[in-house]
Amino acid sequence: MTAQPDASSPAPDRYSLGIGKLVVPSLIGGLVALTLGVYGRLHHPTGVVVNIAGFTSAGYVKSWLATIATVFAIVQVSSALVMYGKVPRVRAPSWIGRLHQWSGRIAFLVAVPVAVDCLYGLGFQTYSTRVLIHSLLGCAFFGAFTVKMLILPKRGLPNWTLPLAGAVVFTLLVGLWFTSAFWFFSTFGVHR
Amino acid sequence: MKVNMPLVTLLSGAALGVGVLVASIVSSPSTASASSTSATSRPSPAFTFTAPASPASGTAASGTAASGTAPATTPASTATTAPAAATTSAPAITPTSASAAAPATTPAAAASSSTYVPPQADYVAQVNGGGAAVAISVHKGKVVAYVCNGHAVATWYRGTAAHGKLNLTGKNGGLLSVDYGSGQAKGSLTTDGVHYSFSAPMVHGVVPTSGRPPGLYEATATVDGVQVKAGWIVLPDGSQVGSVEYDPTSAIPPTAQAPLLNLTTDTAQYDGVTLVASLISGLTGSGF
Repeated sequence: MTAQPDASSPAPDRYSLGIGKLVVPSLIGGLVALTLGVYGRLHHPTGVVVNIAGFTSAGYVKSWLATIATVFAIVQVSSALVMYGKVPRVRAPSWIGRLHQWSGRIAFLVAVPVAVDCLYGLGFQTYSTRVLIHSLLGCAFFGAFTVKMLILPKRGLPNWTLPLAGAVVFTLLVGLWFTSAFWFFSTFGVHR
Repeated sequence: MKVNMPLVTLLSGAALGVGVLVASIVSSPSTASASSTSATSRPSPAFTFTAPASPASGTAASGTAASGTAPATTPASTATTAPAAATTSAPAITPTSASAAAPATTPAAAASSSTYVPPQADYVAQVNGGGAAVAISVHKGKVVAYVCNGHAVATWYRGTAAHGKLNLTGKNGGLLSVDYGSGQAKGSLTTDGVHYSFSAPMVHGVVPTSGRPPGLYEATATVDGVQVKAGWIVLPDGSQVGSVEYDPTSAIPPTAQAPLLNLTTDTAQYDGVTLVASLISGLTGSGF
């Protein structure tokens, strides 16, 4: 879905200038997603990964890290809604911006080792619908996150770009969680 | 100048990713056996071993990381942990000839020529240093062997043995060379480019803790229209390590953790499909 410019948007030339600022970040993000996918496809998966002591298997480490990332992503969306004034009767506290930034950073940094394990140990796989969807979402997530990080400092973008980018990143992560950790916990049980 | 924090976040993530990747590649089976205490039969080894120079990777990420990290050939030091593993988890049968297996540079050279070679035997153990389990079943010269790590490693070997020695090949250039006798099977293997050594005790006579004896269990089924093949290695302490391969006849079957095998019903649930496992036994010849 693409958002339409509303009547209150700036003059056409300024607007198209704002759109133009999205081109390079989008290309870089696409390149990131493509690189991850190609690497995951070409690299011969070894299944050899770094595990954390105290966990039954690498699958549990990844599932819990993915769950942590998803929880922080929910904090992301919630804090964003408050910042944008979309939650009735809730005034944004002064620390909401900091909460938003740090929850995002933590979610991303927690997700990175999971992705490395997936790409290095398992690769981009297509052997079932779940796995194919997960592989695609995984590559797309890091591409979309890259785009969002690159457009964050830019000024003069259309109003809808950041919410859209955030929504896409969040949706991808939740999809990733459902096709991996949720499936893993429901197959192998919820424990360490 | 204002710091571009989102970019910092992005680069931090990239650096972290590269760091984890390098950590995965650099640690090797030899370092794992030196630092790990999980040489005994533990169900959940720390997966601190790692990693071959990936053969098919041409990308920059793996290209830099893979340099100079060829799979470590088993050093003599790992052999020192082997007898300990054999004795702590040794079953009832512990002949004196087992003591002849002195640590040697090449595990294959450890076999004593006077060792009695049983025609039917089953051996099960964690590999030295932990991180994977191996099972070897011999029945009148025919051999079925399996190594898996409860994650993405699963390799089956089938072939014949002669005079207590066997050299088998598996998928992806997997190699297995073993000397076996009445007490233990000692050898080394390579799977997916990772090298392991092991000393596996014979598991006959081990009283099962949970309804089923230790050994090698196999199940095949069709899940989502794809053939899957699961293998579990049940260790003498009743713990198990299992992996499941998708489309096992393909060149590089995707592999994942196998669901828990219920040792009372011999079944496991996977994606709504019931896998029914059967014991591969060198003693009885079932599964051969």
